[in-house]
Amino acid sequence: MIEGDAATSAPAGARTSTDVFATPERRVEGHGKVTGAADFAADIKRDGMLHVAFVGSPYPHALVRRVDVSGARTAPGVRAVLAGADVRPARFGRRLQDWPVLAWDRVRFIGDRVAAVAADTLEHAEAAAALVDVEYEEQPAIFDAEAALADGAPVLHPDAADYAVVARRGEQVKRSPVPHPNLQGHEVHEHGDVAGGFAKAARIFEHTFRVPPVHQAYIEPRAALVWIEGDVTHVVSTNKAPFSLREQMAQTLDLPAESIVVHTPHVGGDFGGKGLSLDEHALVFLARATKQPVRSLLRYADELQISNTRHGAVIHLRTGIDRDGRITAHESRVIFDGGAYAAGKPVNSLMPGDAMLTLAGYHVPAARVEASAVYTNHLPAGHDRAPGQPQNSFAAESHIDLIARELGIDPLDFRERNAIRAGQIDIHGDQWHASEVPRVLATLRREAKWDAPLASSHPSSAQGRGRGVALGVRHVGRGKTSMELTLGPDGSVEVKTGAPDQGGGAHTMIQRVVARELDLGPERVRIEQLDTATSPVDPGVGGSRVTPVHGNAALDGARKIKAALAEGRAAPITVTGTAEQQQHMYGAYAYAIEVELDRETGAFKITDATLVADVGTVINPVAVRGQLEGGFAFGLGQAAMEELVIDDGRVVTANLGDYKIPTIGDVPKLRLVLITDAPGPGPFGAKSVGELANAAITGAVANAVANAGARVYSLPITAEKVFAELHQGHSPA
Amino acid sequence: MSEHIIRFTVNGVRREQHVAAQRRLIDVLRDDCGLTGTKEGCSVGICGACSVLVDGEVISSCLLPATYADGTTITTIEGLARGGELTPLQDAFITEGGFQCGICTPGQLITATALLAAHPRPTDTQIDEWMTSNLCRCTGYHGIRRAIHKAAVT
Ligand code: FES
Ligand code: FES
Repeated sequence: MIEGDAATSAPAGARTSTDVFATPERRVEGHGKVTGAADFAADIKRDGMLHVAFVGSPYPHALVRRVDVSGARTAPGVRAVLAGADVRPARFGRRLQDWPVLAWDRVRFIGDRVAAVAADTLEHAEAAAALVDVEYEEQPAIFDAEAALADGAPVLHPDAADYAVVARRGEQVKRSPVPHPNLQGHEVHEHGDVAGGFAKAARIFEHTFRVPPVHQAYIEPRAALVWIEGDVTHVVSTNKAPFSLREQMAQTLDLPAESIVVHTPHVGGDFGGKGLSLDEHALVFLARATKQPVRSLLRYADELQISNTRHGAVIHLRTGIDRDGRITAHESRVIFDGGAYAAGKPVNSLMPGDAMLTLAGYHVPAARVEASAVYTNHLPAGHDRAPGQPQNSFAAESHIDLIARELGIDPLDFRERNAIRAGQIDIHGDQWHASEVPRVLATLRREAKWDAPLASSHPSSAQGRGRGVALGVRHVGRGKTSMELTLGPDGSVEVKTGAPDQGGGAHTMIQRVVARELDLGPERVRIEQLDTATSPVDPGVGGSRVTPVHGNAALDGARKIKAALAEGRAAPITVTGTAEQQQHMYGAYAYAIEVELDRETGAFKITDATLVADVGTVINPVAVRGQLEGGFAFGLGQAAMEELVIDDGRVVTANLGDYKIPTIGDVPKLRLVLITDAPGPGPFGAKSVGELANAAITGAVANAVANAGARVYSLPITAEKVFAELHQGHSPA
Repeated sequence: MSEHIIRFTVNGVRREQHVAAQRRLIDVLRDDCGLTGTKEGCSVGICGACSVLVDGEVISSCLLPATYADGTTITTIEGLARGGELTPLQDAFITEGGFQCGICTPGQLITATALLAAHPRPTDTQIDEWMTSNLCRCTGYHGIRRAIHKAAVT
């Protein structure tokens, strides 16, 4: 275990004499990124490239009666104008393809596109887009997910039966039936004797929490460039999963996947959002119509208005506790606002990935969990870093804290008492074979000096102090991939992968795994990222999968090279490294936060923050630290600042000035403590860290503020809500 | 729309461009000069991804009409390293984790370069003041702060 300076860590189970991992990494793409040479999608051009503007609906829900593009077609510089009728029946989506490329009969949120223009310049395209004349017939809109499920609620997708589901690696998946037509996804899980568990509880606690939509707020807006050469459609995209985009586009456009080539350059931040591509599909139609390359750069205002946000949610939790302060049964009902389309969700459940994880990291002998993602006339919701977790974690960690304080048990003691241990079962009814949760909590107690009295403020002072704790777990990702490794005659290795790097450090991780296994200096291992035509199939980056899956494929390739050398083969040696990581395992982490709260204004600031994270072997010390620090800041924004404010379907936080994310002065110091000696399923015992820090910070902040005097049941925890809680005894939702 | 001829020096190279009155400096740099290292994020002067030095001052090039740059000397991210050699600040961004995805990095480096020119050993407060107009969603800013401190003592 190490504290603070992650760079000095000695990894567990070092096997080679050269300890590659102990030396802080220099990113393979570092030079390009600090000199401006690294290309992002918006930096790539083609000769004769046209520029694109879209026409979006001004109504949250309407029937499209007529689209007149004649005025736009004859406008200066215009090469093509397309409306819904020109693309029908093309719909897109990561799993369920329910989002029309251009709407032909119905628009379902403000900004839903009905027409697209390609012109010589962006100015010409935008001027022509303004000339497209659309006649709408407004329909009743639904802005409340619970209301959407009422009997007789307007049905937003009457044609749902026609929607395609994207096959996964050629495997057809059927959409699960849903009990209400406005449901995107719905699941119920039950294990153990729930009624019996509640019957034997000494106390039963019930709370409801609300979480608003937020944006991933990567700094790079989406960009796309499409051109067609013969039978081949080329796509430059900000999408972080190029092969998945290829599959989705093949389905949408009814083309063989091999005829689409996706090139993903550097991705300027993802956080779950960049798995969905918006413009690429329409660009293909425009490129066909104009026989020229076409490009679209999404404006940031459109990112906030029409892209796939984190789901807003209402979360009802009910938990029974016995006389010893142990959980006997748990029941939860989570309703996610899925917005107009389910297209942003890549998983079969059509809900955020961890929709059902309402009580993470605890022993739950009996549970009933029901989660739904619901169609509304809000902009579509999609995946956001540890999807489902920021919402559920905020609710559960607040709920656990409320229970502990009500029972008069120290909140950290209460968590330790209920922490899942090896052999016990979790909220999903799964048995854990190992658990670092108790150790993470014990470490937090020590490192955060939890048992030392909080410097209390003078009773008459306007300053309140509070301390809060929250626990989180995140799965170590699963999946499979392969990559090609070539040992050259000079002893260096080249690795060809289809995985992009959205900033997590995937390529550097691959480099260092190969270097360590082959006992080479990392600079002797070169990583080349190929497009979808030339690379082995790859699932892309996300799902906390890169280190355990791609890392193991890199290790497998390196071992094959070793074996070939042992057989006496001479360079060049080319092998395919493959890995399939199916081991189900969690990484655990916990925060302790101290706040100082101004009772007169409700404003608070974090005065101390500790994060203990169970990360396994550290391959990239700089990146591990960066992911955790970055996750902390990301989660802090969502805890205390961020809300995509939507008023009657219109996003009013319309730019990055209104939608505020943390700046450098908003992010306090963080005491970072890593547990590195509990091995994970990744190469050399690595786990994953990309989504290990951002969820539980919300609950930790809520609990610290509650300890200082104001319990807030909704995110973000703003001064306004704290003030209302302190002075009116309740907080506005 | 009126057309103007503007003359400026960018990264040591003198240039002359015809520009429309409303054309933004970022478009001139990225599209006309091919200097795509300068990035566009928010387009409204908030994120700092488009930061460049105009006569030594940090400017959001998404807000500045290119005509205002007439007669100035501009430094973009491409102009920081001399003869292929990284500045200590650029190197510190690599070793200290000053970037992840890298989209904000050109802007961060431009502003931090100006900061170090004004305050060779900046305090945390000075770093907060100068860097507050450069958003980063990936790093949580800790790595950026470490990099600036490291470059300051180099
Ligand atoms: S793009 Fe200029 S400040 Fe954001
Ligand atoms: S490194 Fe990605 S936004 Fe700063």
